[in-house]
Amino acid sequence: MISITVNGRVCACEEGEYLLDVAERNGMLIPHLCYHRGLLPIGACRVCIVEVIERGRSKVVASCVYPVRDGIEVHTASPRIREQRSVIIALLLSLAPGSTEIKRLALQLGADIPRLVKAPESDTCVLCGRCTAACEALGTGAIAKVGRGVTKKIAAPFDGMPPDCIGCGSCAHVCPTGTIAYEHTDESVSVWGREFELMRCTGCNAPLMTREQHDFLTRKGGESPELLCERCGKQGVARKLKTRERYLG
Amino acid sequence: MDHSTHIEEIARRYPAERRFSLAILQDIQREFNYIPAEALPIVAARLDTPQAHLYALATFYKSLSLVPKGKHVVKLCDGTACHMRGAGNLLGSLSRQLRLDADGRTDDGQFSVELVNCLGSCALAPVMVVGEAYYGKVSLEQLPTLVDSYREGGENDE
Repeated sequence: MISITVNGRVCACEEGEYLLDVAERNGMLIPHLCYHRGLLPIGACRVCIVEVIERGRSKVVASCVYPVRDGIEVHTASPRIREQRSVIIALLLSLAPGSTEIKRLALQLGADIPRLVKAPESDTCVLCGRCTAACEALGTGAIAKVGRGVTKKIAAPFDGMPPDCIGCGSCAHVCPTGTIAYEHTDESVSVWGREFELMRCTGCNAPLMTREQHDFLTRKGGESPELLCERCGKQGVARKLKTRERYLG
Repeated sequence: MDHSTHIEEIARRYPAERRFSLAILQDIQREFNYIPAEALPIVAARLDTPQAHLYALATFYKSLSLVPKGKHVVKLCDGTACHMRGAGNLLGSLSRQLRLDADGRTDDGQFSVELVNCLGSCALAPVMVVGEAYYGKVSLEQLPTLVDSYREGGENDE
């Protein structure tokens, strides 16, 4: 166990933990965009920058990917950080003027909105990388950051429809700018230019998951998962418990 | 041997692990002078890795190309020193002599020309590399002879 100081408060933590996690656990929220609790940290958006003072030297780091070391002193909202962060937010906002998530951050942090906003275009991606991280973690890694430099973008191989996509929609769900088009009806889901047929709950006939998702879970788990929605699944368990003899001790 | 079996054979040179993606793609590039589109699903299946991952690698690294490179790859340095000493003129002259298309390639697949940032031989500016051979202090006058030596049947066209 080691300890660090965040905004003057001593926080206990484990070596190697990420700074942002430690700060949030201790009730100090650091603004962030690409960081998502359910995903591995990405470190792309730089919104979560903080000032770290170690051995008398001060530096600015991205807290979501900065492993803590014993005795460091952290300031999450020093004047230097406030200024730099608001520039970063303003630049992000100029890329995606329509994003409610970035707008909220800008308002919250007092970033200079009107000066940098460009005319809204269809391309609002800020390349934060949440979608690819989500696809890697929950789906199949069907999309990736393609190319480099100013031509970098999120795409599937050969700019086509992703062959490995299972239509789970995780990418669209985590996207902070709403760039990824995801639509679903009672029968089907469409995302990345592909259409996926939905399988239904065997209990109540509610749409449940795509066929490809079911196949993927089968491959991953070694056996085919029951086609039951959360409610029907719980009811099934409850019914079993009710009808079977229970251990009473 | 058709392309697919050849690619399959290259992929099998390495253990079926994701970390060998780049090594396999490099071998394919060396073999075919580009990464054929059909290579992606084959390598992906062998390594049990998504095709998007391989595509990302292929688009990120300059040494990998998704369209066929010429038999002779000409790298023209456009670093600061070479730029000042007329790399732009050399490029213009090269593209006229070789009738390069917009992507810097010739129709016969013999040449492809690319501008690179710095070859680390600034004292020899302007520098040009053909295949593995370095040419320093390249002048517009010597360019036609140099190019001809690499044309089909030329002394440098092995």
